Amino acid sequence: MRHRLPLPFGQRIDRDVPVTAQFDGRDLPAFDGDTVASAIVASGQWVISRSFKYHRPRGPLTFAGHDVNTLVQTPDAPNRLADELPVRDFPTTTAQNVTGSLMADRSAIIDWFGRFLPVGFYYKAFFRPLGIWSFWERLIRWAAGLGVANLAITPRYNDKQYLFSDVVVIGGGPAGMSAALAAAEGGARVLLVDEQPCLGGSLTYHRFAIETTERDQLADQLVTAVQAHEHIRVLSSALCNGWFTDHYLPVIQGDRLFKVRAKSCILATGTSEQHVVFRNNDLPGVILCSALDRLICHYGVAPAGDLVVLAGNDQAWLSALTADDAGIKVAAIIDLRRGPDQTALSEEAARRGIMVHCSATVYAADRDPKAQALRAVSVRAVTAKGEVGDVIATLDCRVMAMSAGYMPAYQLACQAGARLNYDDASAHFCIEALPTGMFLAGSVNSVHTLSALLADGRNAARRALSHLGFTVGADEAVSCHAAVNHPWPIFPHPKGRDFVDFDEDLQVKDIVNATRLGYRDIQLVKRYSTVGMGPSQGRHSALPTARLVARATGRSVSETGVTTARPPVKPEAIGLLAGRRFHPHRRTALVEQHEQLGAQWMPAGLWSRPAFYGAPSDKAQRVVEEVQAVREGVGLIDVSTLGGIDLRGPDAAEFMNRFYTYGFLKQPVGRTRYAVLVSEQGVVIDDGVAARLAEDHFYVTATTGGVERVYQEMLRWNAQWRLRVDVANVTAAFSAINIAGPDSRQVLEALAGSVDLSAEGFPYLGCRVGEISGIPVRMMRVGFVGELGYELHVPSLFAGQLWSLLATAGAPWGLRPFGVEAQRLLRLEKGHIIVSQDTDGMTHPCEVGLDWAMNRTKPDFVGRRSVDILAKAPLTRQLVGFSLSTTAPKPREGHLVMRDGDIVGNVTSCEVSPTLERIIGLAYAHPDDAVPGGSIWVRTEGGVAVQARVEALPFYDPDTARQLL
Amino acid sequence: MKILSCPLNGPRNIAEFIYGGQVKEMPDPVHATDQQWAHYVFYEHSHIGVVREWWMHAPSSYWFIAERHNQSDEVLRTYDPSELFAQSEPQQSKTELTLDRPEVS
Amino acid sequence: MPFSLLKFGLNKDYPFEKSPDLPQPSALKPAYDVVIIGGGGHGVATAYYLAKYHGITNVAVLDKAYLGGGNTARNTAVIRSNYLTPQGVRFYSESVRLFERLSNEFDFNIMYSQRGQLTLAHTDATVRAFRQRAEVNKHFGGRTELIDPVDIRELVPTLNLSPAGLPVLAGLWHQDGATARHDAVAWGYAKGATQRGVELHQLTEVTGIDVEAGRVTGVQTNRGRVSAGCVVQAVAGHSAELAQLAGFQMPIVAYPLQAMVTQPVKPFLNPLVSSSALHCYVQQTSRGEIVFGGGSDPYPLYGTRSTLDLKESLMASAVEMFPFMSEMRLMRQWAGITDMTSDYSPIMGLSPIENYYLDAGWGTWGFKATPISGVTMAQLIASGGKVPELIAPFSLDRFDAFRQVNEMGATAASH
Repeated sequence: MRHRLPLPFGQRIDRDVPVTAQFDGRDLPAFDGDTVASAIVASGQWVISRSFKYHRPRGPLTFAGHDVNTLVQTPDAPNRLADELPVRDFPTTTAQNVTGSLMADRSAIIDWFGRFLPVGFYYKAFFRPLGIWSFWERLIRWAAGLGVANLAITPRYNDKQYLFSDVVVIGGGPAGMSAALAAAEGGARVLLVDEQPCLGGSLTYHRFAIETTERDQLADQLVTAVQAHEHIRVLSSALCNGWFTDHYLPVIQGDRLFKVRAKSCILATGTSEQHVVFRNNDLPGVILCSALDRLICHYGVAPAGDLVVLAGNDQAWLSALTADDAGIKVAAIIDLRRGPDQTALSEEAARRGIMVHCSATVYAADRDPKAQALRAVSVRAVTAKGEVGDVIATLDCRVMAMSAGYMPAYQLACQAGARLNYDDASAHFCIEALPTGMFLAGSVNSVHTLSALLADGRNAARRALSHLGFTVGADEAVSCHAAVNHPWPIFPHPKGRDFVDFDEDLQVKDIVNATRLGYRDIQLVKRYSTVGMGPSQGRHSALPTARLVARATGRSVSETGVTTARPPVKPEAIGLLAGRRFHPHRRTALVEQHEQLGAQWMPAGLWSRPAFYGAPSDKAQRVVEEVQAVREGVGLIDVSTLGGIDLRGPDAAEFMNRFYTYGFLKQPVGRTRYAVLVSEQGVVIDDGVAARLAEDHFYVTATTGGVERVYQEMLRWNAQWRLRVDVANVTAAFSAINIAGPDSRQVLEALAGSVDLSAEGFPYLGCRVGEISGIPVRMMRVGFVGELGYELHVPSLFAGQLWSLLATAGAPWGLRPFGVEAQRLLRLEKGHIIVSQDTDGMTHPCEVGLDWAMNRTKPDFVGRRSVDILAKAPLTRQLVGFSLSTTAPKPREGHLVMRDGDIVGNVTSCEVSPTLERIIGLAYAHPDDAVPGGSIWVRTEGGVAVQARVEALPFYDPDTARQLL
Repeated sequence: MKILSCPLNGPRNIAEFIYGGQVKEMPDPVHATDQQWAHYVFYEHSHIGVVREWWMHAPSSYWFIAERHNQSDEVLRTYDPSELFAQSEPQQSKTELTLDRPEVS
Repeated sequence: MPFSLLKFGLNKDYPFEKSPDLPQPSALKPAYDVVIIGGGGHGVATAYYLAKYHGITNVAVLDKAYLGGGNTARNTAVIRSNYLTPQGVRFYSESVRLFERLSNEFDFNIMYSQRGQLTLAHTDATVRAFRQRAEVNKHFGGRTELIDPVDIRELVPTLNLSPAGLPVLAGLWHQDGATARHDAVAWGYAKGATQRGVELHQLTEVTGIDVEAGRVTGVQTNRGRVSAGCVVQAVAGHSAELAQLAGFQMPIVAYPLQAMVTQPVKPFLNPLVSSSALHCYVQQTSRGEIVFGGGSDPYPLYGTRSTLDLKESLMASAVEMFPFMSEMRLMRQWAGITDMTSDYSPIMGLSPIENYYLDAGWGTWGFKATPISGVTMAQLIASGGKVPELIAPFSLDRFDAFRQVNEMGATAASH
């Protein structure tokens, strides 16, 4: 077991709780609190993955989950960041994207061919001769991709929760904690969201000064105060992964997605430390200074071998001191500048015997072929921007820590519409044009010294409180003169491998060559080279890319910019977003009855309806029997899904008259009328039955899928007309049963009821309100299936009871339940259209013989003018009835009607009619062919053309005698 | 998501609302030309600017009007339709009138 | 073998600027025969066909931002022709045929991959509609069949055949369905056009359109005025806005359309898969990323902001279709602004202004039509305003006559 540093280093690990883990088949000794990455490095290995394109060995860069060099495969998923995975929860991990083994990846041969694969090489080859790309594509597809998706896993439990807060502070470092405390003290309710398992942020690893007691005391003080404050709620190990309109923030903690609505937000999100671009800067062992700090302070790991620090700022020197304190041999500090800003640092380095080279850079790093990691660096003098002179030294080392500056973590702000502005003097991007209610605090706001961070946090809190309506004092002065950004930490090497983007294996020349090819806009550079398109979405590549492209295209860095920030900030598991996936569906009040009768269900919108009753294998036979029962005896069907809308009020009839196409003002009480609805474009969109139950009371049904829309449209029109009518959607409150067949009257008469059911007392198309066996009922005589029949609407409470009563009373007549399939066939025999089956998105009334339902004596109805315009133009198609012998190939719904080689229409309904012993159907045909006795050609399965006879509608009982009984 | 302020229910998550199309001024359906009518049916204010729209708060089935900038997505105001529409009189309630409408075949 | 790559490795500093894909910025000339407003796929395709097949090279393509930076950059790269209407299918089928040879046409690899597109039907009504679409598509030479769940399982073994309690009843299997690198389509056309003398002017925004006596005479830009023999607008997402500048209206409403993509994984999904009921379509790119698209946003907006709501519902649908995707990680969301027409068909051809031509109304069906729109718009321009028969059904004035070409239901994005 490798030695770990004693406290105060290694704050996150529990030395008393060892964990046995495995990485890539090898045992990995670790402690509770380690991440997989820290355990691997503690075991003496730096290599964790292979890069996307060249399969170069890679190791951690940030130790904070901000780079993707640590991608590993877990049993459930690929592409997990090893520096974020607690080793306790993920004891078994393997390398991914390797051919062979991690240490000997055969695909690394691509690295040797790199010079033949310039940026965008795949656009320039692999497609001649025509068709060859499908061969290459298979290869390239297999080489692409990172890990392997586990296709067998089942989704785990993910839920969601809403949270509301006055102020949401994102980032639990010094500025964030300071802001949270000030806001809470000022009277706001605060939610503090922090990515790390413990609060403290940079206070837990970053060395702000040569002496560290101030930082340590402050850390304790702030964390204690935040945790104790009753108006601050802390979410740790929680990632705010996006900003959406009106401060709607998705926060991911574990398996839960919090959807946080903030009245204001303070971003204390910190920065991404930036790397130096030099040859082989991607070697395992080459890390950022903050990564070294975290490794030491969080995990107590002192990597073996000498350390070289490459400094673009004073902060890097401080990391060197931390390493020295931890007993690591600091071979040298290489400063890109002439020297540190704080002279005390030079003195301290001298005091500790650390060698220093100024105006110098690491020009190339060397690889140890056995460890596949860093073994030495070559140091050269910096002579001009991006240029080097003579070799100063070659230093043996196993770890190199660098800092070229800091890029603010701009993602959330820019998602919210803020802009990045580059200041040439200080060589850094700052964030401007924040939306209302959003404030910055801390290093994301270009503030770096400790006291300034705290003051900046308090200022942000003041602004948030002011935004919320609290009275606040004046801002404190915040001054921070730390020059943390080196203006040009980029040293291109003739042999390349000087990486700008680690995710996508892109070197300096790749970026520059893209501009030379004419892709000059930063967006085109990104799309052509794929820079910034990898999983870290430009966190480390955006700044060097902006600088390189600016120089190559003769523009300022500000003009060049970076590519658009888009959610999510970090990759997020799809299951988190999907959540528990509720599937609402609706069932009528008769579901139990249907189940008992052996119903086979079919979806109808959100509803389920019985398609037929019986075994699936007997479907055809059962449907025929159901049809015959209705034609010859009596059948029962649940039509609750057709809905019910109550219109009540003095203007109810006037409303009906304006809304539907037919006339309703003179509709007598006790009668029903056909209610057709057309859109403002004149298209038939719904139909139903309107029953006038009283002078001021209409009860209207619709189609199963249409009720919601009809109801909404009614309300919307009356919002304009403002007639004195109340519209209520009572679909759920009522259930409806249709009893149909020549024996239906007798069955009903067998039940005690208040309504006179005689042919004279209750004629066809009449409606009555009464009771059946004490059940209140609205009754309508309707003709949809073409037999004597009654539609009974009862409060849903009584539906089951009524069904049972009818079934019992009907038994002597052989009463049978029938389902949607039988109903479809029955109505087809009567030539009745089903809206949205026999009509489509363009069908206007004249095409389907509904002109009779357009009342043209009333002033207007919805869509009337459009209907008239369409009626004036010659028809291009017309719905006709057709029939064929049952021996003919049966057309299916959707088959085309052809004429002289052109498509003129399509079959919308087609069934074998047991009643007529023929195939019957409805189809759109050329208007000239819409003559009963004529014929149309239908192209059936396999392109077989059949000639069908055009029939007058209805096919069955043309005198409607059976309905009029 | 975005917050929309319902005149009846106050500020709610926009997911609770259904967009109902633009509030359009209807020409006289009887006397407008075919082209004017087609224009009313198919066209609306669709370039960048403030638009007036129908919105319904789904849980309460309440329709109202919003004035919104269709690029910044800023909602300038929301109000009850009674501000724009007056209660109408039932037309020709019990009598059948023949109006001079264009002949339809 | 890709021998053409050898030259890059054998030359230490390959002189890319000697044979660039795109030209360096240049000054605007005072006049052009043709000004194309919009440097997206359609705009540069039109310029390409004008230059290569009609010998018309005095052409300027103007874009207010960067080449292909509008919807060409933002679409989910689905190429198919399995629409519903004969007019639509005839049109898109032509485009599919052009796509099949496009890399070789303009010598730039668009990574065209004909992996087939499968749309799932979960209701009887959808099955009927799919059967009709298959028949229409076959009539125009396409390869489209209605297939059953057994065949579907073979094509996409990883698909859940009963998502969200809505069992898959059948599938519309369109073998002609394909995907390609959408940006590369714009780059290939732009390269081919500019190499033949067409000028591409990026960061050039049209601020005014000069119309005199019913004819357009030129355009005002942020870099000065340019005279034009004729003008084409090809600015999907801002068509109504630009028409407004020219003084007329278009029956187009701008709606955002969102999409999102995961981290790349090794290939496991070949066909492009779409569910009509779940409003979700899924494909895996050559890079290995899974791309998702769904329905249009619920209300109009000239904006490309992403929303959490849509992401949640789209990902819920994705997990229903492919449960194991719950562990995959979404990397990025984005959106484009789409010109939605009431009949889900484009608006192409003549405008109220004599020599001002329209390529608009592309909704969610624009990328797949890039080649054929370029061909037909070039024909329109070269003939001095004679509308090619293939695009005649898509005229602006069809709405005046209530002659819509209704493709609702055959588009992924229908409300």
